[in-house]
Amino acid sequence: MAEDLNWAIGGEAGDGIDSTGKIFAQALSRAGRHVFTSKDFASRIRGGYTAYKIRTSTDRVRSVVDRLDILVALTQRTIDENVDELHDGSVVIYDGERSWDAEIPEGVVGVDVPLKSLAEDAGGAIMRNVVALGAACEIASFSIENLDEALAKRFSSKGEKLVENNKQAARLGQEYVQEHYAEDLPEYSLAETDEDYVLLNGDEAIGMGAIAAGCRFYSGYPITPATDVMEYLTGRIDRYGGHVVQAEDELSAINMALGAARSGARAMTATSGPGIDLMTETFGLVATSETPLVICDVMRSGPSTGMPTKQEQGDLNMALYGGHGEVPRFVLAPTTISECFHKTIEAFNLAEKYQVPVYLVSDLAMAVTERTFRPEEFDMDEVEVERGNVVDEDDIDQYLDEQDRFQPHYDAADGISPRAFPGTEGGAHMSTGLEHNELGRRTEDTDERIKQVDKRNRKVETAQREEEWDYREYGDADADALVISWGSNEGAMVEALDYLDDEGIDVRFISVPYIFPRPDLTEAVEAAEQVIVVECNEQGQFADLLEHDTLTRLKRVNKYNGVRFKADELADDIKAKLEAEVTA
Amino acid sequence: MSSDVRFTDFKSDKQPTWCPGCGDFGTMNGMMKALAETGNDPDNTFVCAGIGCSGKIGTYMHSYALHGVHGRALPVGTGVKLANPDLEVMVAGGDGDGYSIGAGHFIHAVRRNVDMTYVVMDNRIYGLTKGQASPTSREDFETSTTPEGPKQPPVNPLALALAAGGTFIAQSFSSDAQRHTEIVKRAVEHDGFGFVNVYSPCVTFNDVDTYDYFRDSIVDLDDEDHDPSDRDAAKKKILDADKEYQGVIYEDENSVPYSDLHGLDSNMSEIPDGAPEDAMDLVREFY
Ligand SMILES: Cc1ncc(C[n+]2csc(CCOP(=O)(O)OP(=O)(O)O)c2C)c(N)n1
Ligand code: SF4
Repeated sequence: MAEDLNWAIGGEAGDGIDSTGKIFAQALSRAGRHVFTSKDFASRIRGGYTAYKIRTSTDRVRSVVDRLDILVALTQRTIDENVDELHDGSVVIYDGERSWDAEIPEGVVGVDVPLKSLAEDAGGAIMRNVVALGAACEIASFSIENLDEALAKRFSSKGEKLVENNKQAARLGQEYVQEHYAEDLPEYSLAETDEDYVLLNGDEAIGMGAIAAGCRFYSGYPITPATDVMEYLTGRIDRYGGHVVQAEDELSAINMALGAARSGARAMTATSGPGIDLMTETFGLVATSETPLVICDVMRSGPSTGMPTKQEQGDLNMALYGGHGEVPRFVLAPTTISECFHKTIEAFNLAEKYQVPVYLVSDLAMAVTERTFRPEEFDMDEVEVERGNVVDEDDIDQYLDEQDRFQPHYDAADGISPRAFPGTEGGAHMSTGLEHNELGRRTEDTDERIKQVDKRNRKVETAQREEEWDYREYGDADADALVISWGSNEGAMVEALDYLDDEGIDVRFISVPYIFPRPDLTEAVEAAEQVIVVECNEQGQFADLLEHDTLTRLKRVNKYNGVRFKADELADDIKAKLEAEVTA
Repeated sequence: MSSDVRFTDFKSDKQPTWCPGCGDFGTMNGMMKALAETGNDPDNTFVCAGIGCSGKIGTYMHSYALHGVHGRALPVGTGVKLANPDLEVMVAGGDGDGYSIGAGHFIHAVRRNVDMTYVVMDNRIYGLTKGQASPTSREDFETSTTPEGPKQPPVNPLALALAAGGTFIAQSFSSDAQRHTEIVKRAVEHDGFGFVNVYSPCVTFNDVDTYDYFRDSIVDLDDEDHDPSDRDAAKKKILDADKEYQGVIYEDENSVPYSDLHGLDSNMSEIPDGAPEDAMDLVREFY
């Protein structure tokens, strides 16, 4: 009896694949099961293969694997695309009444359910996917009442009748399987637990973190896969007196956010690579005017328009180095969905404490993946809002010059100047992207220039000293082999450790959520015999950075075909790298 | 907000580096007077500017200000105003800044109708980069980059604004100090996006669109019995390519600014020192 179940539904874009998958994921999560979802989608609205995959277990699930137990195939292509993941005893649910003759691979159990006809019996052909969900519940021995709840959540705003029809559709699917296939099915049993999980994706976690942190102004321009951040905030941020503006482009989006931040609001914009390109000029202005701003880059595959619906971690160099001239910026890269929430909050605090732009770098795999969590992982009581050195009319005196003029770029010892929000009496000042003096006025004086460059950089030194730039560690701390990764690879890598362990390979794994400033890994690297850096790009941008830090050549596992790492595959890659060294 | 604010309170102690005689002096004075006379003071005023000779204005004025990048002052002003509706926001630009690199933002700022004032110092040339053609340069105007003239018609910013749904469209001449001030004042008082295109001659690089030229050709709309609430009449004036008008060309008296439409009235700088009290509801939505 398998505890883990890998389920998927696939068809053409426009077939309602996404919402059907989501309903099933919610049903599983409500039954106290852990869920990890992933999506395969093409960059088109109708037509083109698309799939929604769910891995579920009573244990925490952190990644996808190359294995499918139950597949709902609305097209032959769905079967063909996934044939490598089907195994002896996998079940494919299909509708034999449809025009295609499903070719079911050897060893796989085909379950032919007249999805469309049964849906029509329940009130409309559109519910055929729900019929399939009912069938899947029966096959997986999963109680269908859980599905009822998810259907109610999804359709109750559209009326009781629709909810009832959907429940009925699911029942018809269930009964059909009971009647026709009771004997031939492999045994699955989806145990339920008492846990109440929440199910959310990385973009939603970023949006939720932003509101919790007091972000009240968001301006953005739609782009895959960052749009969910904007969609999350729209309709929610206004409950707290905030606002979302859909700007005319990314140039405008970042400038609006900058304006709001200068008004004293916590402001954010989110985009993906091409949008970051457009924002880069203003990024320099944000940094030199020392405006706190959170700029979120949900990476996708580049360059140029690249593969908009595919995974990559190729923008790290841009976040670190993008823009002309030299300015400090912080770069945070959450490694899990719950960290998307926590790091967003941290990003706002760091931005305001140090008056710097903070890049929050996430990626497509995190953005389109939903995962279950205990609600306590998003503990709102723990959220602290630190606004840094904001002055009001009473304490402004210490920052006035001899002519009583406020100095927004005051040359403080720790590099952190005062901020006076507009409206503060006596605080009127200007700031500019031109090099400026402490008053904010343009200067080309050589001493003033050096003073301001040094002042801006001193903030980094202060932050390096005062904040904890830590990392998470897994596996065997004393192992000879060390694997390091950043961003969303953590989940797959943690599971890969189990696979490696099964083969007797001990690995120490370090997952780094800070790109700049970042923890010093020199000691860990020196202590290991072999070091491998894992990332979803071709050039090994993070590996380059670490080599620069540690002055040691590191090995790399890079994936850049547009698909995230899978745990089992990653274990194989690591094993191969380690062995290559031994036999070399 | 104190009632005894004088326009000189908006002056910074920094001497402008504009060429002696530049139209921008007059444009700026009118802006400062308009702000003072509408009851504003430097501490509640935010001035945004782009890049160009025009963009230097934030340096010479005393208020909260941001001198940003080329062409993007309007989005900055939008963010400033939406985040704190108590501020008086004035955005300054040049014809290159506003109608070339920033043209996209211009159209969208007009249609967004955020309650702020946009003053463009239109000298029909690029000043700061030393005399290239601008989008408002005449078709045959010879410059270093257009030795035979741009050979393309100039943009008509007023027409763009009207087509984009502008609710306040005006034009003034920087050397007619009184009229210019009065027009900018009306733009400040307008509920919504107040747009003023100001003829602001460049004495160094433009020997065609000079003070004399404007003095001779300008027609004051007040002398023409023009009714600014009449959109069709406004359209006629705006499309009349042979005339240089000054005055309020169009004002929609029923203009509803963006903030009102979206119910925005809070100062977004005021936030709790932790998550909002009901924040766990945000988590529960994901059950
Ligand atoms: C992205 C970018 N491109 C080009 C420039 C160079 N530049 C500075 S001012 C300017 C033109 C300004 O013309 P206008 O807006 O008419 O202002 P004026 O100087 O005439 O007042 C240009 C092209 C720049 N600063 N930034
Ligand atoms: S170059 Fe022209 S626009 Fe610039 S300051 Fe001189 S006169 Fe004014």
